[in-house]
Amino acid sequence: MTEKILEVKDLVVEFRTDRGAVKAVNGVNFDVFKGKTLGIVGESGSGKSVTALAIMGLIPNPPGRVASGQILFNGKSLVNMEPGEMRKIRGNKIAMIFQEPMTSLNPVFTIGNQIEEVIELHQTHLSASERAAKAVDMLRLVGIPSPEKRVKEYPHQLSGGMRQRVMIAIALSCEPDILIADEPTTALDVTIQAQILELMKKLQKELGMGIILITHDLGVVAETCDTVSVMYCGQIVESADVKTLFNHPAHPYTKGLMDSIPSFDSTSGHRKERLQTIEGMVPSLFNLPKGCNFQDRCSKVTDDCRGSQGDPVLKPSKGVDHNVACFNPLN
Amino acid sequence: MNIYSYVLRRLLYTIPVLLGVCLIIFVLFNLVAPDPAFILLGKHATQIQIDQLHHELGLDRSFIVQYFDIVKSSFTFDFGYSWATKQNIYEMIKNGAGPSLSITGPLFIISNIVAISLALLVAFYRGKLIDKVMLIVSIGGMSIPSLAVVLFGQYYFGYKLGWFEISGYERGFPGFVPYVILPVILYTFISFGADTRFYRTVILDEVYQDYVRTARSKGLNEMVIMFKHVLKNSMIPILTNIIIQIPTLILGLLFAESFFSIPGLGSMTINAINNSDFPVIKAMTILSALGFMLFGIITDVAYTMVDPRMRLK
Repeated sequence: MTEKILEVKDLVVEFRTDRGAVKAVNGVNFDVFKGKTLGIVGESGSGKSVTALAIMGLIPNPPGRVASGQILFNGKSLVNMEPGEMRKIRGNKIAMIFQEPMTSLNPVFTIGNQIEEVIELHQTHLSASERAAKAVDMLRLVGIPSPEKRVKEYPHQLSGGMRQRVMIAIALSCEPDILIADEPTTALDVTIQAQILELMKKLQKELGMGIILITHDLGVVAETCDTVSVMYCGQIVESADVKTLFNHPAHPYTKGLMDSIPSFDSTSGHRKERLQTIEGMVPSLFNLPKGCNFQDRCSKVTDDCRGSQGDPVLKPSKGVDHNVACFNPLN
Repeated sequence: MNIYSYVLRRLLYTIPVLLGVCLIIFVLFNLVAPDPAFILLGKHATQIQIDQLHHELGLDRSFIVQYFDIVKSSFTFDFGYSWATKQNIYEMIKNGAGPSLSITGPLFIISNIVAISLALLVAFYRGKLIDKVMLIVSIGGMSIPSLAVVLFGQYYFGYKLGWFEISGYERGFPGFVPYVILPVILYTFISFGADTRFYRTVILDEVYQDYVRTARSKGLNEMVIMFKHVLKNSMIPILTNIIIQIPTLILGLLFAESFFSIPGLGSMTINAINNSDFPVIKAMTILSALGFMLFGIITDVAYTMVDPRMRLK
């Protein structure tokens, strides 16, 4: 068993709004292990990014706050940690890259300056020239050609894929234990996307960090993750290792997501059939139904799902470490 | 294209603008304004006296020649003599520039530091109590007429409390210092409201950008984020607002100098307007136009220094 570095227990994140408090994340549990990748999958608004920001301690407060639950990093609680203490972890032990490589770098500072900034902050024993050398090393590590020249350039002189590589270089320059990647490839071309994912996998092997990969793209999950949690309306509805999840999805929502991936029949070269979609809409967080949140869109819905049995809870389905929150799981 | 050829090109562009400004001045002073003979000789002058004066002032020459006189003066700074004081105008401007700068220089530095610091502060504490209090104070400062502020300041701080000189001036450092303290404080108060609100808006545009989130995720503290990352990105509109103030610094504060009896370019201009002293008004108009054009170029060059995206290829 590999070492557990992050433990999220019953995490609830609330946002105060004019219409009352809303739980964007409602009782989420997961663990991150050293050298392993956890995928968090879900539609927009399912609470994936909020979960990530909660781990980073970057929930905008007000209006948001971690209402209850625990985030344990190497056994230490990150919730309500003293801000100065948290800043020593952020960017150093836990780093994050974002969905928008085009705008995530500061346009008026050089690439080198932005990498050196984080090194200067967390690795105080390095001298200025050592920092500059390390910035070049980091750019070389993330596969940017002629890094000695690039450190002096500004973000607008780089393409989106190159900028995301710079973001990764910034995130990894203090050799974090955990890298949170919030849809790191969504804004990139498909070919660049594969390169970035490959790069993250390669660096994970070299540096041994745990990765939390947030995405809505199941293809990305299949390619990179070891375990997967599927989120819906702020809750995890299914979690399993990646093989089990793809071969035996137990929650109708997971199944629905997989059916919505376009596919080709490789023998005939034709599209197999009409693309499947999940009927209906994600319910509003202000107005969640009683019982299962997925009931109105589910083909397997029964009276149990409508609240007579309470809310579905995540419990083991068949198979090791395969949990599902459903009254009528598939298979 | 490098920076030198860019500046050179911008300087060349100012020539047609300058010719246009001179044309407007010529039309206003030589065609629209009343005949200077009425001003200088009064109602009962004879035709001979009038003709003689026109000859002295060069008004009997062709319009083209008179127009190019104005153009020429904007290059040579030879503006002739004042009608009212008979002094050389170039010398008058040289004498007035010192007193003007002694008040506008400190005012420029202090008021901008105050406005930018306050703007960073309220942008940082946006929505909190201090932001709301500053909103009320700023709007208050903007709403009170500047004349009321000056009169109150002179009466209360100058006369009642006796802390500052109410008016007057003494040439040379440090003699002028006691005379400029009160106007600098009062005019900082008059200008800070609008500037703070403007800078706050500019800074808040930046606070929600993605790169700020990145800076936070690095573990930087909020002060570094505001003063390094946010401020540098807000510099373009702030610089524009600051640099455009500089020509007015050199030309003096028109009314403030009169209120405080400071013998600067502002008072000189007001006096010239009161006396219909056309040559002085003309000279100051040309200088203003030159100043705004020059600092327009400086603003554009400054942009390229703060924002690499504007750097010339």
